[in-house]
Parts: sequence; C-alpha cells; structure tokens
Amino acid sequence: MDDQGCPRCKTTKYRNPSLKLMVNVCGHTLCESCVDMLFVRGSGNCVQCDTPLRKSNFRVQLFEDPAIGKEVEIRKKVLKIYNKREFDFSSLTEYNDYLEQVEDIVFNLANNMDVEMTKQKMEQYQRDNKDVIQRNKAKLTREQEELEELLLQEQQDSELRRLETLQEEQRQLQAKRKNKQALLDELENSKLPAAVLLAQHKDRAAHLETQIEKQKQNVKPTNIFSTGIMMGQTVSLASVSRVEEVLYCYQPLYIDTYGPPVPELDQLGRKGFLNHVRAASLQDQAGGYTSGLACHRAIQDAFSGLFSL
Amino acid sequence: MRMHLPRGRGLNMYHNSSQKKFWTYDKEETLDKLRLEANQKFCSKALSSGKPGINESTLLNEQEEKVLFKHYEKRLLDFCAVFKPVMPKSVVGTACMYFRRFYLNNSLMEYHPRTIMLTCAYLSCKVDEFNVSSTQFVGNLQESPAGQERAVDQILEYELLLIQQLNFHLVVHNPYRPLEGFLIDLKTRYPLLENPEMLRKSAEDFLNRATMTDAGLLFSPSQIALTAVLNSAARAGLKMDVYLNECMGLKEDKETLSKMYESMRRMTSLVKAYELPKAEEVSICKQKLERIYAEFATNLKRKHGYEDDDHVVKRQMVADEEWTDDDLDAL
Repeated sequence: MDDQGCPRCKTTKYRNPSLKLMVNVCGHTLCESCVDMLFVRGSGNCVQCDTPLRKSNFRVQLFEDPAIGKEVEIRKKVLKIYNKREFDFSSLTEYNDYLEQVEDIVFNLANNMDVEMTKQKMEQYQRDNKDVIQRNKAKLTREQEELEELLLQEQQDSELRRLETLQEEQRQLQAKRKNKQALLDELENSKLPAAVLLAQHKDRAAHLETQIEKQKQNVKPTNIFSTGIMMGQTVSLASVSRVEEVLYCYQPLYIDTYGPPVPELDQLGRKGFLNHVRAASLQDQAGGYTSGLACHRAIQDAFSGLFSL
Repeated sequence: MRMHLPRGRGLNMYHNSSQKKFWTYDKEETLDKLRLEANQKFCSKALSSGKPGINESTLLNEQEEKVLFKHYEKRLLDFCAVFKPVMPKSVVGTACMYFRRFYLNNSLMEYHPRTIMLTCAYLSCKVDEFNVSSTQFVGNLQESPAGQERAVDQILEYELLLIQQLNFHLVVHNPYRPLEGFLIDLKTRYPLLENPEMLRKSAEDFLNRATMTDAGLLFSPSQIALTAVLNSAARAGLKMDVYLNECMGLKEDKETLSKMYESMRRMTSLVKAYELPKAEEVSICKQKLERIYAEFATNLKRKHGYEDDDHVVKRQMVADEEWTDDDLDAL
C-alpha cells in the first residue's frame, strides 16, 4: 500500500501517525499543518492546481483517494438543488432518467468535464424548478425534524430504563444488607442456637433471591420497539405498496422458419440422412462433433426461408 | 456457440437473421432506387462544392456507376479466385455481398471501389473465420513490399467505415450450405433421382453466377440454392415437380408453390441477363472516376482520414497517388 502523505511537506502517515490530511473542492490533499501555514489569511491557491481555495472549505480526508472526498462534496451540493424524489415523477423511467442526469452532472463536475456547461445547466434547472426545490427542501427538513424527534424520544426512553434498573439494583442491595444485619442482630440477641438461626437466615436469603428473580422476569410488557416505533402501528415512513405480479408461465419457443419442417437431429440417422454425409472421424468426435450436426445444419439452411416473400 | 442453443431449433439461421430483416428487398426497383439516391446525393454534394472541374458531365451517372460496379465486382471475384491459401466459397460470397451492400447506399465516386473491394475481402476473411493475417492478405497483391504496406494501411483505414456502412450486420448467409442440404435431402428422400451428385457441377455454376447479380439482396439463400438445383435438373432434362410437391409439402399449398415458381423464374432471368461490361465502356468510366477523385483528392481524404492527424492524411494522399489501378491489373 502506498503510504498516504502530504504532497507539500512530504510527511507520511507512517512517520507521523497523527497526520491529518485535508482535502478541498479541487480534490487535492494537504496536511493540517500545511493548511494552517499556507492559509493563514483564510484563502489562497491550491499548491497543485492553483485553484483559489478557502480555508474554511478544507475537510478531513475520509477516503484514501482524495478525489472521492471531492465528489462527496460536489454530490452534496448538487443534491441540494436536485432534490426531487420518486413520487415527483409519473413513471419510473422518468425518475431513472432524472437520476442519470444527476449522476452525469456529478461526474462532469468531479472530473472537470464541461464544467461551465454543466454549471449553466444546473443554474438553468434551479431557475426552472425553484418552487419544487423549495417545497422539497421544506419537506426534507420536516422529515429530518421528525426523525430527530424520534431519536430524542428514544434517548429519553433508554435513559429512563437505565435509571429504573439502577434503582432496582439498589433496592435489592439494600434488602440483602438488611437481611445480613438482621442475622447479626439475631445472633446477638436470640437465645436460639446459632445453627438454627443460620438455617433461618439461609431460608430468608433464598426467599429474597427468588423474589428478585421473579421481579426480573416480571418485566413490564413493552409496547415500543427498540427503534422507538410503537408496536402494532403501521409506520408512516415506509409505506409498502403491494405489487400484484402475474406468475411467469413458460411458453415453448416457437420459431417460424418460413420453410418446410426440418427433421429432428436425433431422427436424422433413422430416416437415412446420415448415409449421405461424410462420417465423423474419431478425431472429430473427440471435440463433440457428430456428422448429424453438419447434416442437420445443412438441411436447416436449405429449408430456412424457402417460402418467404 | 451452437451447443447453448436448444437442439434442432436453429436460432442462428437465416429466418431470424439481419440478412432477412434488413438486407432482403422485395423487388429490383427498390434496389435501383437506393442506388440512384446514393448517386444523386453525391452528385448534388459534388456540384455544390463549387470545384471548377466538376459539372454534370464529368460526374458518373447511375448507369456508368453500374458498369464500374460490375467491373470491380468481377475483379474482386478474380482476386478471391487466385487467393493463396485457397479461399472457401462462403468467404468469397460474403465478400461479394459486403461489396454489394456497401454500394447500395454509397456512390462509387465517394469511396473508391478499388479500396472497398479489398476491404470487403479482408473483412469477410475475418468474419467467416478464414484466418489470414493482414500481411499474408496483401501478399496476394502483385506489389512491392512498400506497396503492400500501403494497401494494408488503406484496408485498415476503411475497415471500420465498411462495418459501419454495413450497419454492423456482418453475418451473411450464403447459398452454398443450403445447396449441400438439398443434395443430402434429394439423396435421402427423393430416390426417383438416380444420381443427385451430377447436378452439383452446374448448380454450383449457377450459384457463382448468382453471386454477381442482385439475387442475394432479393431472395433467401435457400431459394437461390433450390433454383440452382432445379435449373441444373432442367438442364439435364429432369422434372423435379414431384420433389416440390411431395418432399417440400407443397401439394396442398398451391399459392406458395406458384409464388416459388414465380421467384425462381425472376431469379433465373436475373442470372441469365448478367453480362460483363464492355472493356471500352469500362475504360471511359474509369477515366471519369479517376478525374473525379483527382478533383476531390484533398477534401475527400480529409473526410475519411483521422481528421486531426495531419501526417496520416498526408501519407494517405501520397499512397493514393502511387498505388493505382494498374498495380491491380498485374493480377
């Protein structure tokens, strides 16, 4: 594996394991210290391609290939504008065309092909579809909010559960401690022999244990999945529409040869056709050839399309 | 390939070929119309180019094109006939069909038949699995090594154009295998005929002559083969009606039978009507053709050459000047 490194100061991950590589919109890498040094004033040009860059646009390089980081950036930007979704289209084909168009744009921008044209196209699209974009953006944020709400609730629930179990454990611990204390007290004050007391204590302890066990099994029946979705409630996010498919039914292949019927391959010998072709030699047969194949093909060719026109 | 197909179905046969779908026409007039269109298209382009040496009389008309086409087609067949190693018949048939298909939609004045015919032969060697290297191929030209190299360059330059003009329909079904099929069938199912092998010679002769006509663009290869057989039988004074009625199952189907006879009659007259163009006619047309090429030399080369590649274009021009028809005549 090539060791990743900063192209400017030549530090590599091997020599400096804490090296942080950054990547900007042009897709070229720099390490963090070089970025700090070169972009003290907040902006400057890329060392490798001279593109004017802003310091604030540097991101930590997540992928080994810096070009991917660049593409991700671009994709984010493009998808902000091209945010239509499947139900905005009347047919799947249209939606697929649309997706392909988006991919084309991302590809062009990421690979510096027809950048001007593509940018113009994007602007044009943005102007033409202002309303739809706004609407979809609002929809997206609403969905985002819903999701966040769900997450928050889930967090609260798990926090609550954690506290409950903690309390439960403490209660049990207390009960055990009380039991022990009681034993000591009894040993101190009672006139009964120690062995009897011990046996009594053991009994009580066992009783306590079973009680705890019972309680543990007695967990409240939940009505919420771990994902925070209510049981027995259809989920609005994934509306599953059932598609009725007709079962596939095999139709035997029929080919019109536009000619008289050709005898079947395995009938050729019986009908005497093979008496009139060169017999296959042993060497021929080794490869799977039989004289029937050539004979059959010749007759097929002779009859095919004979009656056409 | 054949092993993957259902047995006895013949999916790669003529009946679902591109030849039947795209390259079989209903009548001769359609072919003439296509050729006329190609001729006129080039003529109007040439006239509008404003070259001083180009006017109606210097251009070839469609009849003259036909004369030259026949001439070069014969040359193609002659070239294939003396080719070493011996070329299988199907390769020759395929080459000839490529040549015919190419000039159905293109004018001889646009692409020089001398180059196209060699390219057709070369391509058909490849397609029909007749393994000849390019050096071996041009070794059949009576040329200096340098001239052969130029010929290779030209062939390779035009190969892609040819494939494109053939619409990438490269499989050609020739009537030779159907003829074998009929002979086998006759031997097996038609004992009335004592010695079917005696029909072979003149039937093959018929097929060779049919290659030089439009038969391949009008009829299916099996029809051509059957016509060859029946013609050969007629020549030997034999009646074959019983074979058609009984073995082909046409006894009940009078309509198909009469249609068959009709197309056979058309084909026979087509083959009989063929005659080689006269030498003086050919030489006049050839002069005209060369003059047109000289006139267009520069911009035509620009078109087929690799447009931005100056050195290729230049080299091609030189090659064309040096490599003329006379080199081929040495064959």
